[in-house]
Amino acid sequence: MAKRIFLILFFALVARSAFATNEAEQDSIYNRFQLSEVEVTARALEKDVIVPQTLKGAELQRLNALSVADALRYFSGVQLKDYGGVGGIKTINIRSMGSQHTAVYYNGVQLGNAQNGQVDLGRFSLDNLEEIQLFNGQKSDIFQSAREFGAAGNVYLTTRKPYFKEDEEVHVRGQMRFGSFSLANPNVGVDVKLTDALSLTLDAEYVYSDGKYPFRYRRVLPSGETAYDTTAVRQNGDVNAVRTELGLHHYYRTTGFWRVHAYNYYSERGVPGAIVNNVWRNGERLWDRNTFVQAQWQDEWFDRWSTRFLAKYANDFTHYKNYDERLLPSNNKYTQQEAYLSLANKFRVFNWWDLSLAYDYQYNALARENLLLEDGTDHFARHSHWLSAATAFNFKEYLRAQASVLMTAVNNDAPRVTPGVFFSFRPYPKIDFSLNAFYKQSYRYPTFNDLYYTDLGNASLRPELARQHSVELAYKISNHKSQISNACGYEIAASLSYYYNRVTDKIIAYPKGQQFRWTMLNLGTVKINGVDAKADFSFFLPLRWVLRTRLNYTYQKAIDVTNPSDTYYGHQIPYIPWHSGSAVLGLEWTSRRGDRYGLNYSFIYVGERYGQQENTIYNYVQPWYTHDLSLYGEWGITVRRTPHATHPLWLKANIELNNMLGQDYEVIQNYPMPKQNVRCTLAIRY
Amino acid sequence: MHISHKILNLYSVSVAVCILSAIAVLSSCRGDEVIYPTIGTHVTDEVREGGLYVLCEGNMGSNKARLDYINLEKGDYYANWYGSQNPHQLKELGDVGNDIQAYGGRLYAVINCSHKVEVMDRKARHISQIEIPNCRYMAFRGDKMYVSAYVGSVANPELLGSVFEVDTATLQITREVKVGHQPDELCILGDKLYVVNSGGYLINRHDSTVSVIDLNSFTEIEKITVGPNPQRIRPDDSGKLWVSTDNHVSILDHSTTVKHLSVKISNLSILGPVAYMVDREAHTLRAFSTIDYTELDQPIDISSFEHPYGLLATTDVLYITDAKNYVSSGVLHCFGYDGKEHWSARTGDIPGHLCRVSEAYDLYPDTASSKPTKSSPYISRVYEYVPAMGQFVNVLPKYEEGDDAASMCRKCELAIANNAGGLVCLGGWGGYITFGFDHAVENKDGYDLRILGNAFTMSGNEAYGSSEPGIVMVSRDENGNGKPDDTWYELKGSEYDNPTTVHHYTKTYTRESDTIRNPFHQQPYYPQWIKASSMTFTGSLLAPLTEQISGQNVQRILDYGYADNKPNTDYSGTSLDISWAVDADGKSVSLPTVDFICIYTAVDENYDQTGELSTELSGAIDLHVEP
Repeated sequence: MAKRIFLILFFALVARSAFATNEAEQDSIYNRFQLSEVEVTARALEKDVIVPQTLKGAELQRLNALSVADALRYFSGVQLKDYGGVGGIKTINIRSMGSQHTAVYYNGVQLGNAQNGQVDLGRFSLDNLEEIQLFNGQKSDIFQSAREFGAAGNVYLTTRKPYFKEDEEVHVRGQMRFGSFSLANPNVGVDVKLTDALSLTLDAEYVYSDGKYPFRYRRVLPSGETAYDTTAVRQNGDVNAVRTELGLHHYYRTTGFWRVHAYNYYSERGVPGAIVNNVWRNGERLWDRNTFVQAQWQDEWFDRWSTRFLAKYANDFTHYKNYDERLLPSNNKYTQQEAYLSLANKFRVFNWWDLSLAYDYQYNALARENLLLEDGTDHFARHSHWLSAATAFNFKEYLRAQASVLMTAVNNDAPRVTPGVFFSFRPYPKIDFSLNAFYKQSYRYPTFNDLYYTDLGNASLRPELARQHSVELAYKISNHKSQISNACGYEIAASLSYYYNRVTDKIIAYPKGQQFRWTMLNLGTVKINGVDAKADFSFFLPLRWVLRTRLNYTYQKAIDVTNPSDTYYGHQIPYIPWHSGSAVLGLEWTSRRGDRYGLNYSFIYVGERYGQQENTIYNYVQPWYTHDLSLYGEWGITVRRTPHATHPLWLKANIELNNMLGQDYEVIQNYPMPKQNVRCTLAIRY
Repeated sequence: MHISHKILNLYSVSVAVCILSAIAVLSSCRGDEVIYPTIGTHVTDEVREGGLYVLCEGNMGSNKARLDYINLEKGDYYANWYGSQNPHQLKELGDVGNDIQAYGGRLYAVINCSHKVEVMDRKARHISQIEIPNCRYMAFRGDKMYVSAYVGSVANPELLGSVFEVDTATLQITREVKVGHQPDELCILGDKLYVVNSGGYLINRHDSTVSVIDLNSFTEIEKITVGPNPQRIRPDDSGKLWVSTDNHVSILDHSTTVKHLSVKISNLSILGPVAYMVDREAHTLRAFSTIDYTELDQPIDISSFEHPYGLLATTDVLYITDAKNYVSSGVLHCFGYDGKEHWSARTGDIPGHLCRVSEAYDLYPDTASSKPTKSSPYISRVYEYVPAMGQFVNVLPKYEEGDDAASMCRKCELAIANNAGGLVCLGGWGGYITFGFDHAVENKDGYDLRILGNAFTMSGNEAYGSSEPGIVMVSRDENGNGKPDDTWYELKGSEYDNPTTVHHYTKTYTRESDTIRNPFHQQPYYPQWIKASSMTFTGSLLAPLTEQISGQNVQRILDYGYADNKPNTDYSGTSLDISWAVDADGKSVSLPTVDFICIYTAVDENYDQTGELSTELSGAIDLHVEP
């Protein structure tokens, strides 16, 4: 039995539901016998000591979302910074600790940007993704690379993995999306079964948008009379991007696999810039190329000892050029290189006790070239080492615990040690109700920009420290009888968390010396008290109707407590709303043949907040909220039938209407967001 | 088991209900975006004269340049004063305020990242804006403004900046000269302009020069090396220039350095024999003699400041700002020269630039308490503006869609009332303007009034020049209705009895005839806000004045008694005596006071090269009232 649970866990966490949830859900009408597997997988996931927020498979596709950033808006505790449009930068901030405390992993390996420490999530398309997970603190499984213990918030992006039914050799997908702002977004993918164990995936995508959307600034006098009201079109927001990915997956025995993933992204875009008095367009252009190759190999020995090896090489190039004749021209090139190696081991001492030990090494280099000043090229490099030890206990069904320590050494600095402790207590073994809690420390190391940015850098910066305390009540229940008996069934998951975070030694830009010579200083302390509440409901109704809702609410009080003599002492930090939340409501009907039709409505609310440190009327930013609607249909045409299964050709059409009421809003002041906009997607899958 | 499920199910539903109602109750909705308010705070009971403008820079991209104002007579500080004066200004004052100065009855502010110079009246009401890319600082001389800018109108590979010359009457750029890297402060001595080339963008390779520009030829005639990253340049009373650089202050006598002060400063303000400086390393205020350059004791203590920034030494008190961390509000401090702090006030972000003015304004001018207690010598009101057709009609002042007679009068007030120093053009013969003061002008011995225009004389031959004479008429508010609908009396000028002068001349202009335009002025010449399709004027017509001298069209300058005939620098030539008034029959009348003044173009001349002669008015002064 224990063996079986382990296998299921392995199945669930490593191969992450690819074999079961996603495809099973999609093909459930064709292959009802797979239902039992769904339940097993679900139960295994429930046993996470750290419960992630997850969006996956069909649910991900149903959202009104183009990029990963759009999808993350539906998670609680997350604030998105969005500069607008398809090409605008989009970063996230988890539980108000700052976007640089968030690590983003692509198929298990962290995406890096040693230059500014932020990953632009607007560049990651959802089309090749199978799952997005967000873990507060760290991932539930201690079998992870050392570096993964290092971040305060973790977003895991997992690409589609090939799944072949018997008699299947190849899968192909083709998709075309078009919409407002001249959006054109074709996407093709191929999965090929080379041998029973070895498969190949290919995915390619092109995105074009001219980024020209109307926006409106209207202000009124206190009397209600219009002060000004103007509508203009966003300029220089065009984007042209090509993404290609190649994956090789090899699963052997029941325990081992290796996979190689190559990723290339090229884009050219305009930087639309801030809309200020007398400036309605900007001339900055940006070219990016992000390339990486990563490899993973993993196996298990003697039923007790698991080993994972990761390697990655990334090469990123950015070219920034300013064409605005009213500004001083600039023409800069940046080349970043990253080499990463990780070795992780997990040892199962007893069935209820695991130990893990991991070591990671990373090399980062940045070459900066100012083509106008011909000052030559500046080179910066960094060597980082991480060593982690972790342990996990399961005391029967009642208590799960995890503890980890991470030692981080950057260049020749003295190593720093950060601990993390996680508990999950389930008082009633038969009811999926748990009380979870954790404490974790994590460092955010200064980026190359913080350290060496001309005029700004400060090479003696210390890392910024975040301390997180969190407690959570989580409850889940499901009843799947419906699909068999045509009665009502449901799945409910709800949780309520309270957290207290403290960020100290916060790295901030501070003016020094003569005017506008800025420098970075470890000057800042932020105290964060927050509550996240979320509830997901799925009701399986008779006649194959399904109603799904996903509700999130976040309250955050994130105040600056650096110095009582500051005018902003005790004020809410910039761009953190006190209240934010989202609601998604989806209704879906599946025909007897397995065709689906659905309607999805989503509402996102971000409450009032301030754009600067001081909470004064001059820095006040109004709440914004958008209503989005999507309508979709999916049709299966059986083109081939074999003794084992049917092989349908799936056609899918989706039409999205975003910001239905056309609210004129800004996420960041002076960066207007689009009004109503539409997107249509047509897809074919075999 | 079944029961417990039901209970827990209920529980989870209630969690959901709680969440939904939390979203509904706690979250507030979005309302109309109301303009940023002007917020007044009483900061001191101390009474001083006039007011003080505080230009807060705001951070780049934030669009938070803010103009605050303090009424020094009442001690009231108004945050975002500009906002209430200009609520309709699209996207407010702009992005990064960099300089503010009052000149010739107007207020000018450089808004760096909005690429404009904002032109306002003294109360900070928007008049116009001058588009100058990446503009930095201003200097004034005569009717010209000079603006330094980090980039020129044409991009150049050396990344050199420019100094632009702007005509303050037309607000048009007239000339441009290329200087060094990122020119910042500038000042004028005699007919030379000095501008520091900061090289602020060339990190570690700062420029280190001051460019000297000859204002006649508008060319760079010299470059003086002063030290890396020069930033401030201010003249003292003896005509020496104090230039701050990254590591010292240089004192220049023309192009030779007479003294180096090894003090690293962030700001400088010179008042008579003392130069006050903010030592950016020691965080202290220091004073140096402008006579022997020795350091003087001064008791003002700014050691508690986080980032001392703006500085203005005035005869009675010294103002200095603390910019704090540059991303939150700053503080304006007022010190006496005895070191005592009189008061302080919270400002906007980065209070960098201070400008003291003689006017004390209140937010609500209609309240009784704020009525002017003393009369102003300048025009306070324009009652009528009816220009005849002309090449500057609809331009000076500018006609915009929707304007009517009243709004055009208001635009004239913005241009010429309160010593604003702009120009109003009356067009061809007969076009007129009627204005008044905030009191009746008394008829005393000698001259009573001065009328300012834009006339000038040829150098070396003062009998000729540019004269576009206007006849001046006066009137008393006989019926007491406050409107200029009473009997008019012409002020008898030197040409009144000239036999070539035609009295009771009449001319009609029609909208249909508005077809011939010269290449420089392509806008309609017929006043666009006048709905009637024709206009008829009646009055006196002077004989043509234009003659050709060395191929140039010039006018004979008249002897006396006309507007826009002699240069503004000619006191008697621009002055008039109410005793000259004559009635319609040419009989002299005695008027103790006059309430309304009307000026109309007195000549009817039109030439291919220069267009028609038209009287321009740039202001009027009651000579019996102290400014």
